[in-house]
Amino acid sequence: MRRRSALIAALATALCAMPVALAGSGADPGVSPTTILIGGTSPLTGPAASYATVARGAQAYFDSINAKGGVAKRTIEYRIVDDAYNPAQTVQAIRRLVEQDNVFAVFNTLGTEANLAIRDYLNQVKVPQLFVASGATTWGRDAAQYPWTIGFQPSYAAEGFVYGQYIAKTQKKAKVGVLFQNDDYGKDLLASLKSGLARSGSKVVAAEPYQVTSPDVGSQIGKLKASGANVLAIFATPTFAIQAFVFANRLGWRPLVINNAVSATSNTMSLASEGGKNKSIEGTISTTPLKDPLDPRWKNDPGMKQYRAILAKYAKGANPNDANHLYGMAVAHETVALLKRLGASPTRVGLMAKARSITGAGNPFLLPGISVKTGKGDNFPLQQGQLQRWTKGRWVPFGGLWVSKRN
Amino acid sequence: MTPRTTRIVGFVAFAAFVVFVAVLPTFIGDFKAREYSYVGIYLIALLGLNILTGYTGQISLGHGAFMAIGGYTTAILMAGNEQFGGPIPSGMKDVWTLPIAGLVAGLVGLAFGIPALRLSGLYLALATFAIAVAMPSTAKRFEEFTGGGSGIQLFGTPELTGSISNVEIFGLSFSPNDWMYYLAWSIALVAFAVAWLILRGRTGRAFRAVRDSETAAVSSGVSLARYKTLAFGISAAYAGVAGGLFAIASAFVNPDAFPVALSIYLLVGIVVGGLGGLSGLVFGAIFIAFLPLWAQGQDLGSLLPDRIIQETQKPGGPAMVYGIVLILLMFVIPNGVGGLFRRIGQLISSRRYSRAK
Repeated sequence: MRRRSALIAALATALCAMPVALAGSGADPGVSPTTILIGGTSPLTGPAASYATVARGAQAYFDSINAKGGVAKRTIEYRIVDDAYNPAQTVQAIRRLVEQDNVFAVFNTLGTEANLAIRDYLNQVKVPQLFVASGATTWGRDAAQYPWTIGFQPSYAAEGFVYGQYIAKTQKKAKVGVLFQNDDYGKDLLASLKSGLARSGSKVVAAEPYQVTSPDVGSQIGKLKASGANVLAIFATPTFAIQAFVFANRLGWRPLVINNAVSATSNTMSLASEGGKNKSIEGTISTTPLKDPLDPRWKNDPGMKQYRAILAKYAKGANPNDANHLYGMAVAHETVALLKRLGASPTRVGLMAKARSITGAGNPFLLPGISVKTGKGDNFPLQQGQLQRWTKGRWVPFGGLWVSKRN
Repeated sequence: MTPRTTRIVGFVAFAAFVVFVAVLPTFIGDFKAREYSYVGIYLIALLGLNILTGYTGQISLGHGAFMAIGGYTTAILMAGNEQFGGPIPSGMKDVWTLPIAGLVAGLVGLAFGIPALRLSGLYLALATFAIAVAMPSTAKRFEEFTGGGSGIQLFGTPELTGSISNVEIFGLSFSPNDWMYYLAWSIALVAFAVAWLILRGRTGRAFRAVRDSETAAVSSGVSLARYKTLAFGISAAYAGVAGGLFAIASAFVNPDAFPVALSIYLLVGIVVGGLGGLSGLVFGAIFIAFLPLWAQGQDLGSLLPDRIIQETQKPGGPAMVYGIVLILLMFVIPNGVGGLFRRIGQLISSRRYSRAK
């Protein structure tokens, strides 16, 4: 103990009170002459395990960059730790990555609660919490208070508002029933849906929460049907969204369905369609900033060809129709772009500065016209999306791109 | 071995273990001390659960919920819940919340012990399972009290000792991670000694009598109601203290931090450690704290071929490895590590006995 105290005293500077061993002299932790180490948690197991493919997509993209020599002669090492979608485990895993593995930055950790649990810590120790995989509004809104944290995807608030406006415009006196996950993510979507519906003849008649830890949402769907709703909004993660479709179908309920983006990959929708037998799914409305792997429009698109090639080579056995891989690649692509801009001697401070000044060069995995941008007063990297309708087994886009008015 | 020599061996082993625990942080990295503090925390919960399940024969699938009660008690006393519109002000230093966490959970355990008297075996297991299942929803329901799904953030609060700066106590300086380690383990060792004291005397005999045959226990004058509720109360109090420490170590609580899986892991922990024994539980605690990490190839990079490590890092991989290891373990040591210890002890004493003849 005394021995270590002496060591700490030697290392301690005014800036660095944490006993974080510095890798190499001068460089920030996680940066060596040949590698740059980033890390994050992902739910490889547990109730949200279907999101594990996000990290796998990102990993495959980094591998493909490394095969071409990496960035500034450094290979990117991406270390993934399972947190089973349990924020207490996220805390342990992130401290392990920061204090034991000395990562340069924490990357794309998944889940609103998980990221809330580690935000104060990472901002205290000044380690970047880069491109958080959650659409909670707080990542962009509270950038002044948490300078080391930045989000990525369109905010849930923006998404919910778009659905509300869509219903207000296209339905007369719709009665909306909402299934939502009982946490900040579900509540963000519900509140913004309501504000999108404001001053229209439509309104939310019932809102049923479910717990991430609950086995199914059968009783919630039963109650929503009984409420007389003719629109069903599903603000749930994939497993529960699939259940919602299945239960609605079993009850013979045919509302207009709104399905949130986090569960709207073609893969999830195909599973929910029960091989085409599910009648409640046709005509479902959702939104996405990504290209859809099942859309024939992208058959010869260079970005999607690159996506399939990378996945086939670096994530053997992965299903390319699972667009979570694509999301992972899109966010990895932006990260590589940041690292390139950082140049030969990357620092944590520099990384955050670059992340807050993204000028929006194209991202081959996002829909044409959608760009990633941040700048003074704008801390939301992605703020656009495309409405789409599930028609005969695939997503068909309609209307132009929307730009978020609410964050 | 005579009972006297057994006891002396036990004392020496315990003293050696205390010394081992005290010096361990000098040999492992600073961060590892933090991970080993979780072993101490789980050990406390396992000691309590084993008093109930291993010694008194009452299965509980809901101990994660008692940990949650302790965790929330600690977090609310530290950070208060005025920020959510609740009545409790912030301001209690983390260490002082722990006895209260134990007390609150213990009282809830006692209260639960009374209806549990009417249930036995599978039915009791199901009833306790129900508290574990209901806990997250309940915590979210009373949002103004618990902060709902977003939970309570403790990191950086003045009530948390050593968020990032060193802790000075008794003229010694501890890094935050070492501090957490010594806090968890000093309580764990005291909890261990207390459990041993409870179990060696009259109360412990009554517990074992209830476990072995309720009819025989009653006919020898053991009050079933009294000892079953007592076992529930003690056991829940242990879980409460463990939960309070868990909240301090994570510097955060929310309902998903105490999932149903936690209750099941605790049960796995006492089975791996050995039902009806105390020393094996240390291994049960190590199992709970580290197997989820080992199951995804963390820390094993140099021991296993890359090919296997890659498989474990695929979606669903860790859960599969965890299951396989657990099955193998149950084949090899069906009575847990504690059972293995006893077996070795028996072998040694029987050899001595035959030599003496």
